[in-house]
Amino acid sequence: MTAPAATRWQQTAGRTPAAVELRGVSRHYGGKHAQVRALDDVSVAFAQGSWTAVMGPSGSGKSTLLHCAAGLERVSAGQVLLGEHDLTAADDAELTALRRSEIGFVFQSFNLIASLTAEQNVTLPLKLAGQRVSAKAVRQVLASVGLDERRRHRPRELSGGQQQRVAIARAMVTRPRVLFADEPTGALDSTSARQVLRLLREMVDGVGQTIVMVTHDPAAAASADSVMFLSDGRIVDHARAPSAAEVAERLARLEG
Amino acid sequence: MLRLSWSTFRERWQLFIGAIVTVCLGVALVQSSLLILVTAATSGLVEAIALLAITLGVSTFLAVFIVSSTFAFTVAQRRRDLALLRLVGAGRGQVRRLLLSEALLLGVLGTASGVPLGLVAMDVQTSLLTSLGFVPPDFAARWRDWILGVSAGVGVGVALAGVLAASRRAGRVRPLDALRDTGEGARVMTGARWFFGLLFLAGTVALVTVSAFVGPEGAIPLTINAALTASVALSALSPLVVPLVGRLLGLLLRGSTLGTLAQANLRDGVRRSASTAAPLLVLVALLVGQTGVLASIDRASVHEQRRDLAGDLVVTSTGPGAAGLESVPGVAVAAERLRVPMTVTTRTVDDGEVETETEDFDAAVVDPAAYAQTYRRAPEAGSLADLRGDTVAVGSGRYPLGAELEAGIGGRTVTLRVAAVLPQTMGGGEEILLPPGLVPDPVASAATAETIVRVEPGADTSDVAEAIGARGLGEVSTLDEWITASASRQQDTSSGIMTVVLGLSGLYALIAVVNAVVIAAAERRREFAVARVSGLSRGQVVRMALVESWAVTAVGLLLGGVAAAGTLAGIAGATARISGVATVVVPWELLGLTVAGALLVVGGTNVWTTLAATRSRPVALVGAGE
Repeated sequence: MTAPAATRWQQTAGRTPAAVELRGVSRHYGGKHAQVRALDDVSVAFAQGSWTAVMGPSGSGKSTLLHCAAGLERVSAGQVLLGEHDLTAADDAELTALRRSEIGFVFQSFNLIASLTAEQNVTLPLKLAGQRVSAKAVRQVLASVGLDERRRHRPRELSGGQQQRVAIARAMVTRPRVLFADEPTGALDSTSARQVLRLLREMVDGVGQTIVMVTHDPAAAASADSVMFLSDGRIVDHARAPSAAEVAERLARLEG
Repeated sequence: MLRLSWSTFRERWQLFIGAIVTVCLGVALVQSSLLILVTAATSGLVEAIALLAITLGVSTFLAVFIVSSTFAFTVAQRRRDLALLRLVGAGRGQVRRLLLSEALLLGVLGTASGVPLGLVAMDVQTSLLTSLGFVPPDFAARWRDWILGVSAGVGVGVALAGVLAASRRAGRVRPLDALRDTGEGARVMTGARWFFGLLFLAGTVALVTVSAFVGPEGAIPLTINAALTASVALSALSPLVVPLVGRLLGLLLRGSTLGTLAQANLRDGVRRSASTAAPLLVLVALLVGQTGVLASIDRASVHEQRRDLAGDLVVTSTGPGAAGLESVPGVAVAAERLRVPMTVTTRTVDDGEVETETEDFDAAVVDPAAYAQTYRRAPEAGSLADLRGDTVAVGSGRYPLGAELEAGIGGRTVTLRVAAVLPQTMGGGEEILLPPGLVPDPVASAATAETIVRVEPGADTSDVAEAIGARGLGEVSTLDEWITASASRQQDTSSGIMTVVLGLSGLYALIAVVNAVVIAAAERRREFAVARVSGLSRGQVVRMALVESWAVTAVGLLLGGVAAAGTLAGIAGATARISGVATVVVPWELLGLTVAGALLVVGGTNVWTTLAATRSRPVALVGAGE
């Protein structure tokens, strides 16, 4: 696999239009002299209804890629397109509006608001967007992650796996175009992790949800449709529906 | 938004309890001071009004100050939560509104508890004012219904004013911050901090400079204000100073592991340190600064009187008695000052309406020639030789030479021309001198006379004193005793004022400090747990936190000392200009007490909260994700 061929990497599954597209995106940190290139001229398109895992050694730029693709971080150069929206040109108000409707997030550390119940956490994005909240719809979403019974509980009364499922329900309640997941199974035991991955798979297969997921767990990556490998801020490899062992082997090669 | 605020409130009440208590206290004090003030104003109790006005100002200032530093702190602590809200779609305005509605809740709770407390405060304040002699014993402040509106306005207003800056900062929290583990923003020294720090610093310098050029009556309020602006300035700039002191501490505790840790924590938790140091700073600046200023003015006035009065004895009697004294063998001069009350009415025409204002004075009837022989300084303008007939001599800065005053003396109204303006003094001088003949006899004979006696060269002072006493001409004391006694009377009034104002700010500072320490410890459970799984014993963690908190206390006290020194510098300038000698009294005893008290309170609270925060097994906390 040669690097130049890998920098322009198009996901071709079904030739569906891209949900998110990065065009020549670079992200630099630091001043003029000690500059770190977290992303170096990356171009990639994530097709609608696809689940892509992003892997790479520590410091390879995979989190930065996720943050830039989700409009959380400004790019130094290049363009990020979310459907018809240009994230790189959007101001804070536009980004806020997009976070309410087009983008969902799930993180390793769950990031639920401790003072709110599961149900309140899930409805929060709708309320912030000033939308009417239908109790039925919310219960449906909670039921879809298997937590209808526990909707009155606060995060600390839930297990890690349950908290993560609440976080997924919160991300899904606005029916976002793309779900960004940063190590969603990183803090979970293997049983809870499998449950969460199954849930994500159901969303992709069921409603055609687009998911971009950063992970360092080969088993998690193997659940995705395809895996993209990053090293030193560049895309260096990709694999379609690999097994966990295959993923681990490619990753080891990168790290070695 | 209100619902979210409420649930945050319930979840994190420790963060807010201090602010609620502060608002509650602020509402109570403003309410009771205002009710007493209104009643006092209708009765014309001038001294009480001044004191109450200071109390009002200081309590409002401190309430806003403490609420704002609490919220600045909580915003830093809740950075992750706020960023999370942004992440799930909250706009900047919504985050700001969240904080403002929290402040609203806080204000409402504070008002609800402050109004009943205000009734208690009114009783306490009234009895305090009565016992200090500011108001008559039968004084009773009346409840007025409109005060409820004022109290609610103060409670909510103080809370909102306090949260304004913090809410702006909260609006700037970026969504990405939710994913970073740092508890506080990397940059504590914000542009606003620089701006307000330098602005208030400049204000302080200006106030201190100006206070050196006005009379003592002006210098006191100016230096109180200087202490307040200095507090704001230094607490805004404290993130610069705290790490500096941390480094100093590192030098002192080099080699000790706990010391190194404490130093690193200080450097790391700049905002935490700043919120503990800020109230201490205000306390020291007010307490030491004000006490020092008043004591300096008192001492300067004693110096001044010793220098300016030429005499040996003072005889206090009822009614005129100088004539009798002059006939005592050995008396060279007997200069009498007969104390009579007097009013001056001034009329100003404003928009076609005539406004009358009547001022009360404590006038002294003197024989100009004798007065000049016992008082060494010449008038600022005019001459005491002209003080005869319908004339008057006035203290510096009141009325111009040649002005005609409408004076009320013993029930009569006369027009008096200003014949002389007396030199400016530190406070021991006369307000108004009258020539003999203006005061009706019945008033004169009931008045108190203080006669300064100079003995003839060669005569023995104590013999003369004995002779005066033997003739029953009045109570005799030496001039020095008399000056000291009148200075200490003056000081009693001053320290009465100080007790009220400083007791108040001490209480506020106490609440604020305890509040900051409690918040800090509650948020540090995890950090302490990590320290323990890294091998520190519980005792070592407590000791580390204690060293750290004492270092922060030292920073607060030190900065407060700097602010106090600034106000004292102002008074040194004022005394130097007015009395010729720069006089500064540093209240060491009070300073020592404050330092000991602060170390005790901060240390005690810290040990208690650290013990509470380390009660559970560390592993349980280190493992928890949220």
